[in-house]
Parts: sequence; structure tokens; C-alpha cells
Amino acid sequence: MTGILDRALSWRGHAVLALPARLYLGFVFIYACVHKIADPGGFALDVATYQLLPLQLVNITALILPWVELFAGVMIVIGLRTRAAAFLITGMMLVFMVALGWALHQDLDMSCGCFASSSEHDPISSLTMLRDAGWLALAVYVLVFDRVPLGLDRLLARRRG
Amino acid sequence: MPPTWFSVLRDATIVMVLSAGVALSANALRSSRSISLVAEQEYEILVPCPEFEGKPAAALAPEKVKRGEEGTLFVDAREREDYDGWHLPGAISIPYDYLEPKPEEKKVLRTHARKVVVYGDGDEPDSGQQLANAISGKGVKNVCFVRGGAPALRKRGRK
Repeated sequence: MTGILDRALSWRGHAVLALPARLYLGFVFIYACVHKIADPGGFALDVATYQLLPLQLVNITALILPWVELFAGVMIVIGLRTRAAAFLITGMMLVFMVALGWALHQDLDMSCGCFASSSEHDPISSLTMLRDAGWLALAVYVLVFDRVPLGLDRLLARRRG
Repeated sequence: MPPTWFSVLRDATIVMVLSAGVALSANALRSSRSISLVAEQEYEILVPCPEFEGKPAAALAPEKVKRGEEGTLFVDAREREDYDGWHLPGAISIPYDYLEPKPEEKKVLRTHARKVVVYGDGDEPDSGQQLANAISGKGVKNVCFVRGGAPALRKRGRK
């Protein structure tokens, strides 16, 4: 059983299979952070609308989270510390899904806040949850299987010999 | 050699700390649109108005309101304190709150009234009109609201 798992993990094709997933996830996260970094006040309102965090944590979350998204997005695209980036994206997707699930459970009619601060742009629904689950699956795939990713990690490893 | 889980965790932590540093520096350097690290007051969370469904209630001029008409139920849509302060004789109180709409029609249906006349605060939007629409939208027939609400009725009563 362990042998099969080891063989599955060490298959070299994962690096190629994971590349489009990495590029897609990376650009999604880079695109998602743009409006949040540009308008932290608007994003703070989005965070507050979820009514999940205490007021004291709303602004600090709204300030830091988009930059984590940016760093993780860039890192997973260029293949620098790829698994750490995938780990961060996995964590963020889990947090987003908990927040979304909470908002849907509370029947909140609100914007996702994922890409823009307006309910007309991105209202939450079970489809949002499904979309996030897809992104979570991609991030988990990269995290678990893409052990020698194509990109800077591989180049740096070669240089080190 | 693939990174170990320890190095993955370590790198992720470094990125988090780095992100926090950049985020706080960027916020401090912003000339506009910077926000305080801790919100000083509660955010005003805007909830979209509910979309109206069903047949809108008819408007009724205050001078057309006939008090004591058999089979007519008067409903006061204002806050309970306003109702306690003044209300039409025989009117029941169903304070209308569009943020937390309740099954108002059940209270009305229990009375077996043939006609329902709702009056509210007369503001814009008028709580009476909103409640009348909500009740009418749930299938209750012969529902109307008093144009101008309680202030118009009181003004007419003084004449």
C-alpha cells in the first residue's frame, strides 16, 4: 500500500500535470488580490459583511490577506517555494469556504468579495462554494503531488547540484 | 530532493510574516485609502431591499378611510411605541421590519377580515405600503394602504 502511494507520489508526470493548475490558481489569486489591495476599506467592509470575525480583526485581516494572496499567487506561478504557496492557497481556500458556508447558512444576500466589492458582480451561492471546492482540489493536488515542480525551485535545485 | 513538510510550513510562515510586513508598510505609506489597523466603529452592513413579489396593494386616500366598517381590519405597521402613542380604534399592531420580515399574513388571516387597511409611518418608503404589499404578495385579498400613513389619518381626525 505504501509502495503504491510512494510510486504515485514520485511519478514525474505530476510536474507537467500540475503546471496548468498552478498557472490557473496563481493568476486567479493575483487577479483576486488586485481590488483588495487597491481598496482595503472596501474589502474590510466585505470581510465585516460575513459577520464571522470580531470587529478588532476585520481591518487587519483585510490588510494582510490580499498580500498573502499576491505572494502565494506569484510564487506558485513562477515555481518558487511552490509547495509552500500551495499550502497557503489551500489554507486560504479552506478559510474562504468556511466563511462562505457560514454566509450561505445565515442566508446572507451579499457579495463574495472575491474579485469585486459588489453583490452584482459576484453574489454568493452554492456555485461559489463549488468553484472554491474546485480551486481547493487543485491546490491540494499541487501541494501533495507536485514535489519537484517546474520553475525556479527546479532551477535552483539544479544549480545547487 | 522534494521539500519536507517542515520546510513547507516554515516557508509558508515566512511568506505570511513577509506579507504582513509589506501590507502594514504599504498601508502606512498610503496617502489615501489607508485604514486603521483596528476598526473604531462597527461597519454599516447594507442589506439589499427585498424584491417585491405578488400583487401590489392599492392606495387609499385618508379621507376614504371609514372607521368601524364591518369586516374591515385596520393594521398599524409602525413601531410598537408609536402604536401605543396613537392608533386607530380597533387597529392591530404588526410592526413592519423589512430586515426581518415575519409571516405577517398569518396574523391577518386569523381575523377573517374581508378588507385589510394598513397604515404606516407615511415616510418614504412608507412602512404601511411595504407591509400591505408584503401581505398582499402572500395572497391575501383586498389589502390597501393609507396614503400618507398615520400622520395623514391623525391630521384628518383633527379636522
